[in-house]
Amino acid sequence: MEPALLVQGLAVPFGAGPGLRDVTFDVAAGERFVVLGASGAGKTSLLRALAGLSPVTDGTIAVSGAAIYLHQTPVLFPHLTVYENVAFPLRIRHRPESEIDSRVRAALASVQMSGLAPRMPRTLSGGQAHRVALARAVVARPALLLLDEPLASLDPTLREDMRRTILGLQTDWDGAMVIVTHDLDEMSALADRVAVLLDRRIAQIASPAEVLSRPASLAVARFLGHMNEMRMSADTVAVFPPSAVRPQADGRRARVVALRPRVRGTTAVLALGDARVEMAVDPLEPPAVGDELCVAFDPRGVVLFQNVETPSVPMSSTRIVS
Amino acid sequence: MGRRLAIIALAFSAVAPLLLLGLWSVGDQWFFPALLPGRLTLESWRHVISSRLAIEATVSGVVALATAAIACALALPVGRAMARLGGWRRRVAAAVAFLPVAAPPIALGLGLQYAFASLDLTGTIGGVILAHVVPATGFLAIYFAGVFTALDPRIEDEARSLGATPLQVWRHITIPIVKRQIGDALALGFLVSWAQVPLTLVIGGGVVRTLPLAVYDYVRAGETRYAATGALLLTIPPMLALLAARRERVAPL
Repeated sequence: MEPALLVQGLAVPFGAGPGLRDVTFDVAAGERFVVLGASGAGKTSLLRALAGLSPVTDGTIAVSGAAIYLHQTPVLFPHLTVYENVAFPLRIRHRPESEIDSRVRAALASVQMSGLAPRMPRTLSGGQAHRVALARAVVARPALLLLDEPLASLDPTLREDMRRTILGLQTDWDGAMVIVTHDLDEMSALADRVAVLLDRRIAQIASPAEVLSRPASLAVARFLGHMNEMRMSADTVAVFPPSAVRPQADGRRARVVALRPRVRGTTAVLALGDARVEMAVDPLEPPAVGDELCVAFDPRGVVLFQNVETPSVPMSSTRIVS
Repeated sequence: MGRRLAIIALAFSAVAPLLLLGLWSVGDQWFFPALLPGRLTLESWRHVISSRLAIEATVSGVVALATAAIACALALPVGRAMARLGGWRRRVAAAVAFLPVAAPPIALGLGLQYAFASLDLTGTIGGVILAHVVPATGFLAIYFAGVFTALDPRIEDEARSLGATPLQVWRHITIPIVKRQIGDALALGFLVSWAQVPLTLVIGGGVVRTLPLAVYDYVRAGETRYAATGALLLTIPPMLALLAARRERVAPL
């Protein structure tokens, strides 16, 4: 089956540096493909290049139909009502009035905005404007929808709402989505597959679960955060998430030196000799600082990297050298 | 109290000359030191309707309307392009656009006369219109650069991304959004041309006669009543523009 998007050897200039290079991936129809990268990694430049809004210096982009790009903050046409905003892609394609009306109403219903059709954009809240922009994008049934950090500017309640809306879009539209984000939660919730953008090229393409559990390189592992890192030998480093550290009666003795409550789960920082390791703990019954525990590492969560050179990516997690 | 006095003084300075012109245009047998004319007459206004002054006012209107339309059509894309430029390029573009506005009209006229003579445009209404278009376009380009700087460029990007052609973006998005500013620009372009004397004089060569030239001639000939009548006619479009701007400002959002 022909992919909705095929990108080969793409080079995209951005910022003062050499830009993205060697970007190759494909996205199937109906698939949600997330590009995960840090701020300033070139995600937006890549997305704009895919939409034809930014230049590329090398490579090819093949889309099996129209590609529509949505800005991070919704951009509605201020002189048109909500209804006319959504009707715009159909009007410029000279569709019959009856078809425009039925498709606009269906698109507005799919984002729960039917009641606001006569309103002007300036009267909408941020979340409502996001929904209208989404409805306007899918009403023309593009082959590809390009979403630039669609949840980044929303508060937590609206984020969840919007996430559900995005997931619901593909129930009656079989187009593909490319979504860029720096947020792991957003990636996990939205992606069928994910590409990790690091050091101006794609470092790994896999399912969210695989990226999180089997990062392709130490740099990817460090970027994903919440990873413990332990030097096993001169050229081998073990990386594992806090969930891979578990209490075990015959395990190694460790002492709790700190607790770190986080949105994605509380962790306890353990002292293992000179080393420090983060372990996932029950946030309702966490151990106390100073407690002594016996712990072991679940080998299924441990990834070994050999021939590792000096770290070049700053770490957000605890690093162990033993 | 001081503020009220200042407002009264300002209003007086704006209205008094117009009142005086009005009196002059209908006054007869008005000799020093009389405060008011000896009798009133509508002779000069009948003269306006029946004489060349009406033709000259019509020529002025046609030239100003054409100038406004052409300058606006040229300045709209130029101003948009200027707004999208950054850094030194924008400063250079603004300086180039400002040049015909800043240059003394007589110097600009002499420069244009040389070029227009070789094209047989001197002494024609078309030549005068094109001459007026030069400073008007510079003026409006700077105006539109400000307008488009304030307009989010992502709006046009979004329309393009949704499948609109460049022409459709102009037609359905850009022009409807800035239509009020286009109206203002048309009024500004009209006013730049309406009161223009040096360029009309140099390029029109005395063959193309506009209202400001006629008023100028009446003043030189000592025809005070006709000069005042023509001057009053000259003030009508700016007054209408002011009233329109005022009405727009108080219109509900």
